[in-house]
Amino acid sequence: MLFRKTFRTIRLYLAQFISMIVMTAIGIGVFVGFNMEWYSIERNTNKFFDETGFADYRVFDEIGFSSDDLEKIKNIDGVDDATRFLSVNTTVKGTEKVLALAVSENIDVSGFVLIGDGEEYNADSEDGIWLSKQYADKNNIKLGDTITVVYKEIEISGKVLGLIKSGEFLICLPDETQLMPDFNTYGFAYISPKMLKRTLGFEYYPQINISSNLDKKKMSEKIDNVFEKTMVILSNDENVSYVQTQGEIEEGKTMASVLPVLFLAIAILTMVTTMHRLAINEKTQIGILKALGFKDKKIIAHYTSFSILIGVFGTLFGIIIGYLMGYLIMNPNGTLGIYFDMPEWKLYVPFFTWIILILINALLIVIGYLSVKSMLKGSASDALRPYTPKKMKAMAIEKTKLWSKLNFGVKWNMRDIMRHKARSFMTLFGILGCTILIIASLGMKDTMNDFVDIFYEGAINYETRINVSETATNEETKELASKYEGDYAGSTTVKINDQTIGLEIYNITHNRVKFIDRNMKFFELGDNGVYVCERIAKKLNIKVGDKLVFLPYGTNKSYEIIVEDIIRTLSETIIMSEKYAEKIGYDYHINLVFTNQKNIEANKNIVNTQSKSSIIKSFDTFMGLMNLMVLLLIVAALVLGAIVLYNLGVMSFMERYREMSTLKVVGFKDSKIGSLLISQNLWLTIVGIIIGVPTGVFLLKYMIEKLASEYEMKPTVNILTYILTIWLIILLSFVISLFISKKSKKIDMVESLKGID
Amino acid sequence: MKIVEFKNVSKTYTNGDHILKALDDVSLEIEKGKLIVVLGPSGAGKSTLLNLLGGLDSPTSGKIIVDGKDISSLTKNELAEYRANKVGFIFQFYNLIPTLTVLENISLVNEISHNHLDTKKMIDEVGLLDHINNFPAELSGGEQQRVSIARALAKNPQIILCDEPTGALDSETGVMILKLLSKMCKGSELSDDKKTVIIVTHNQNIAKIADAVIRVKNGRIKSYEIQDKPLSVEEVEW
Repeated sequence: MLFRKTFRTIRLYLAQFISMIVMTAIGIGVFVGFNMEWYSIERNTNKFFDETGFADYRVFDEIGFSSDDLEKIKNIDGVDDATRFLSVNTTVKGTEKVLALAVSENIDVSGFVLIGDGEEYNADSEDGIWLSKQYADKNNIKLGDTITVVYKEIEISGKVLGLIKSGEFLICLPDETQLMPDFNTYGFAYISPKMLKRTLGFEYYPQINISSNLDKKKMSEKIDNVFEKTMVILSNDENVSYVQTQGEIEEGKTMASVLPVLFLAIAILTMVTTMHRLAINEKTQIGILKALGFKDKKIIAHYTSFSILIGVFGTLFGIIIGYLMGYLIMNPNGTLGIYFDMPEWKLYVPFFTWIILILINALLIVIGYLSVKSMLKGSASDALRPYTPKKMKAMAIEKTKLWSKLNFGVKWNMRDIMRHKARSFMTLFGILGCTILIIASLGMKDTMNDFVDIFYEGAINYETRINVSETATNEETKELASKYEGDYAGSTTVKINDQTIGLEIYNITHNRVKFIDRNMKFFELGDNGVYVCERIAKKLNIKVGDKLVFLPYGTNKSYEIIVEDIIRTLSETIIMSEKYAEKIGYDYHINLVFTNQKNIEANKNIVNTQSKSSIIKSFDTFMGLMNLMVLLLIVAALVLGAIVLYNLGVMSFMERYREMSTLKVVGFKDSKIGSLLISQNLWLTIVGIIIGVPTGVFLLKYMIEKLASEYEMKPTVNILTYILTIWLIILLSFVISLFISKKSKKIDMVESLKGID
Repeated sequence: MKIVEFKNVSKTYTNGDHILKALDDVSLEIEKGKLIVVLGPSGAGKSTLLNLLGGLDSPTSGKIIVDGKDISSLTKNELAEYRANKVGFIFQFYNLIPTLTVLENISLVNEISHNHLDTKKMIDEVGLLDHINNFPAELSGGEQQRVSIARALAKNPQIILCDEPTGALDSETGVMILKLLSKMCKGSELSDDKKTVIIVTHNQNIAKIADAVIRVKNGRIKSYEIQDKPLSVEEVEW
């Protein structure tokens, strides 16, 4: 019989039941979804890296490595495998598209996987090209087609034998200025060592890729010993595919720990208040059951079954939502699909997630149990007596003179808030959560907009970036720069404190490149020191005024530099002016020219060119994604807020029903009672906004800090964002309370005043 | 002088197929400044009579004229206005706002009544000056009922409607409440206007103090009996 009662009671409290299930489901969904995201990235990319022999270390030497050099490295204790490797950006003949042409002598390291039909890799193939599947699909290239690429006036032509994906090109970016891959204009291809030799007439491998478990310091020492000089060694932490993947995983972990906590906390707290309310409303029924002779155990089981039902359904729907969310992010056509280029997109859920789900359900049961337990205290006749709320205690403000001047509505609302602290707190919490989510996501958008505006629209003040060959002399390049009225720079890597750090030396006369300080303002490079980007400053613990020593690779020289300022940059680098380089006597090789002109004549010294529009295009996709995310978060926040406010509003309405019908009898108009209800909600809303806005901004700063390993953004919140957030929250609160206040028309004075039965 | 007139008033409640005639073609008149007791068994329609007169509900047919004005066709807002100014209610279970103090419970009518009386004097009138800052839960039943009377009176209404005002009280407290009510008919120092008090009850004893006794049965007026010499509250054996 009690079983039947369970369902009837659910029907009675249907709105509350559904909203609690929805909230639990959203909370669990977000929790499962984000955990699934980072864990799936981790599992899928690890598998992919394993399958394609993603290297752990990369050793560079412009002169090129011989097979003896490779043997030396292979003989190092702790090196599992190694390969000579080459990857150069080539232009596809007749287009502006760029293909990274890669050769791996030992395909077990830095190799690829074949997708679909096509020939397996053949190291002896004279004209075979294994082309990136993404690039082939976007450019409608089929197996058997011939493609020709150009590198420094050398044409390389071959037949597409297979379509592939490679861990080395998991995130396929031409350089660090680009945010997002563009599979249409940039791809990669592998050719055999034999074909390389045939085309060049000699072997050239400026890179050895190593697979090893040694740590960076040991590896560095051992390799320097073998070659008897300082070598450029990059570990995974300096590889875009690996770093961005790890960044994505970290981001997922942050999201999985911040957002679901907010949603679940609101769901559970609402559960507490609603279950308590339910138990109070059912108190006499509990008493009746007790008087009839039901054992406490049975009654407890009956009432606890409500929270079990909420938990089970919430968890079930939550898992479905989680999988949907996971799928939205993790699929070849999903959010990450335009970023990662990998063959497998399986969804995995970390094991601890299941444990936490069980714990959440256990918590719900405990909440249900505790709310009934308190109603069962004492004898059956005690339980039969209706619930009496706690006595009112005077608030501090009542002792002031101000209190007596307040009108009755204010007093009534204030006391009601104090009397139903849990309910008021929950309302406040709901609004708080909603405000935090909205302002943080809008702020995220502002920050990104700001970032993109300043870095891409401002700092990149050139139309074309020319990558100059290593063989060009500085005089030739300076001539090139003056021909195109451009600025030039040298970009290299040096060793500082045993770490490989990017160093850029600029000669700025045409303002084609601008530099950005920590306040996101442009500044001109001074000639008295170097400018260190935030990421490096953090990594090496550098402060303004510090003295650093850097060692260029391949030499025995060292230079002392002074840190002039910490700045924000796109790529992780240290910047100095040409004059400062001269001051410290550092000779560098110019390899970049930035110009405002679009048509650049081919020249033996020009490796390739890159237009600003191709860079801009990549972050359009990125911003599109960002906007979608922000919209989704805001909708989720509003739904959550609406559910919480409506749920608690109805509860408040039920609790004050008798009081309101008394007011109505005394002669208060419906509209007046309605406005009393609305004003209470508006107060709580305003308090929620006052606390929520700064908390949201704080959360934004925290999240951006977490993301700082990838981008150097300054948290920004526009005035418009503040206005929009406040306006949205007040509107939400107003609409919901208007909905509820409309109910005051339906108060039946006659029925409700008949007395307590 | 007539203050209330019912003209062929009927009230039917429909609940699905079931039709309940709570009042069936009732006509009656009530004189100003009188204490009227409406008697009848439960379900007879006496509460319906009170609710219609109090503007809590509208009749299905017929006219109710109060102080020369037909209230049976007023809109919701006009009815609220009517309740705020013309009538005061006293219930068996007091219906005070638990979150407001004695003072606040009474002064809330100041926001809606046009010619309300001074709250503090009202409290003095019902003898609760010592409890002015107490919450309802801190008062006894009789004290709570006195707050409720003070609230009804504070509006300075012409009619006081009481639904079993002593029903939840012990007889001693009940007597005190009745004394207060009968005192109102005679007018007080605060308002020389004489109030019309209508008490709905099934307690036969209360009828002894009434100027007129209306007996209701099955939705009809069974008798309307004027008592020329009502007993004072003290004279009745409780």
